[in-house]
Amino acid sequence: MDIDAGGVTARRQAPPRRVQAPGPRLRPVAPTGTVACPACGRRFVFERYKADLNVCTACGHHGRVPAVQRIAQLADSHSTEPLELHVGDRDPLHFDDGVPYVQRVARAREQTGIEEAFAIARAEIAGTPVMLACMDFAFLGGSLGSAAGEMFARACELAVGERRALVAVCTSGGARMQEGIASLAQMARCSVGVASVAEASLPYISVLGDPCFGGVTASFAVQADVILAEPGARIGFAGGRVIEQATHDRLPDGFQTAEFLLAHGMVDTVIDRRQLRATIGALLRLYSGGS
Amino acid sequence: MSTTTETTEREQAAFARVELARHPERPRAHQVIDGVFSDWHELRGDRRFGDDRAVIAGPALLHGRTVMVIGQEKGTDPMTRAVHNFGMPHPEGYRKARRLMRQAEKFGMPVVCLIDTPAAYAGVGAEERGQAWAIADSLLCMLTLRTPTVSVVLSEGGSGGALALAVADRVLALENAVYTVAPPETCAAILYRDAGQRARAAAALRPGVDTAYGIGLVDELIPEPEPGAHAHPGVAIAAIGGAISRHLDELCATPVDELVRRRAARYRAAGG
Repeated sequence: MDIDAGGVTARRQAPPRRVQAPGPRLRPVAPTGTVACPACGRRFVFERYKADLNVCTACGHHGRVPAVQRIAQLADSHSTEPLELHVGDRDPLHFDDGVPYVQRVARAREQTGIEEAFAIARAEIAGTPVMLACMDFAFLGGSLGSAAGEMFARACELAVGERRALVAVCTSGGARMQEGIASLAQMARCSVGVASVAEASLPYISVLGDPCFGGVTASFAVQADVILAEPGARIGFAGGRVIEQATHDRLPDGFQTAEFLLAHGMVDTVIDRRQLRATIGALLRLYSGGS
Repeated sequence: MSTTTETTEREQAAFARVELARHPERPRAHQVIDGVFSDWHELRGDRRFGDDRAVIAGPALLHGRTVMVIGQEKGTDPMTRAVHNFGMPHPEGYRKARRLMRQAEKFGMPVVCLIDTPAAYAGVGAEERGQAWAIADSLLCMLTLRTPTVSVVLSEGGSGGALALAVADRVLALENAVYTVAPPETCAAILYRDAGQRARAAAALRPGVDTAYGIGLVDELIPEPEPGAHAHPGVAIAAIGGAISRHLDELCATPVDELVRRRAARYRAAGG
């Protein structure tokens, strides 16, 4: 069940809104080299905003973060080894809605500089070896297709093989509609990966970013031992607008925000991005026996 | 004939398949339970919040073997359709299913799931009580369950709401059923920003169970009597019963370690 929470669609992803999530390959917004906080509009010098982890120092709004930048934010410096997982192209339905699906994927690759909706890296976080799997919302809405599912499953297997903890940063609109039923199957494939990590008694920490919906939330994103959520992130199964239209129910205040889910017992903590690395590091030490 | 007309015809044909799968007189889960199993005792409630009537479940006999039967129930008339929420489960439905799957594992009973849902319910309460969490838990439970499992897609298998009860050792489907990533209306809303283009979405997404069969998500298509199971539900139900028995015989003769290993390997490769 996949939604378009606040515009989470493949179609609306291109081009990415640079003001929200300056990518590693994107130039700062010309000509001033500044970006505006999407919440309060305060302008920041691009490099300054990036140094603040895309968190607005004026209002605290957490902006979107490209996957490659996520890895840099979380991993100990010089510990990162990006994994080039060549998973190939898939287009089971030969999908074409005016622009052929394979072209959309190619365009997403150009725009994000990554192969698929995941960037995977071996790394250390505060000295603990981890396998880091970070989703990129700018890649077709972070949607889960079979190539991305294969990447996540391989990341799990490598984590088991190398006895590393698994850390996933999840931000996605859900299943990739253009792959039809094959994309639904990825929920099962990714769950097999999580099950193998659990079977090996390795810790799995999941970070839910804005937004996280559909088949991603309803599978590996919430199958973790510890679930962390970023402030204000919208997280759920069906999108709020879809629910409002289908049921005509009034949505409660703060519906589907990280804070709402914390109050309903669905996540372990809501954590400021500037504390995220230290928190994951501390948790990993605890789950690795304190050594 | 112009290309436009051809496209429209193709779309109409694709959506006609969806409508056939949604035919109100197709056999529902409770009819399959009545026709295939004996001594079914319904067990209710998730022991946490409530009882979701979109999922009906309980132990029953099949040729002298006790099996745990879990079915998504759409209802057969306006009143029962409302009672069963049109087959759209809340989190409590998946949690009841998980409770009884664990129970089946404890007593060495095989599990049979009957899939018939357009999607998991999208509503405020369902979200507040963790719809995504309930589905994710159900997926992990089914993947690691140490007892044989068979799922049958009766009419509509929509979204994670269907998959949550369909990661089984064997997945069967009535030949006119559909199995989709989301209902065509939702797909159209996401892809074209217009739920009205559901026929176009149906044509593009190939919702028939033959697509799921083609990628290995479904193992066997159960033939239906012409012009469809709705016309001769008794014949279709007998065919479903025969197929379930045959697969359970094979699965029950296989060591459970081997079943769990094969199940993991199968879904590890799912979707190509």
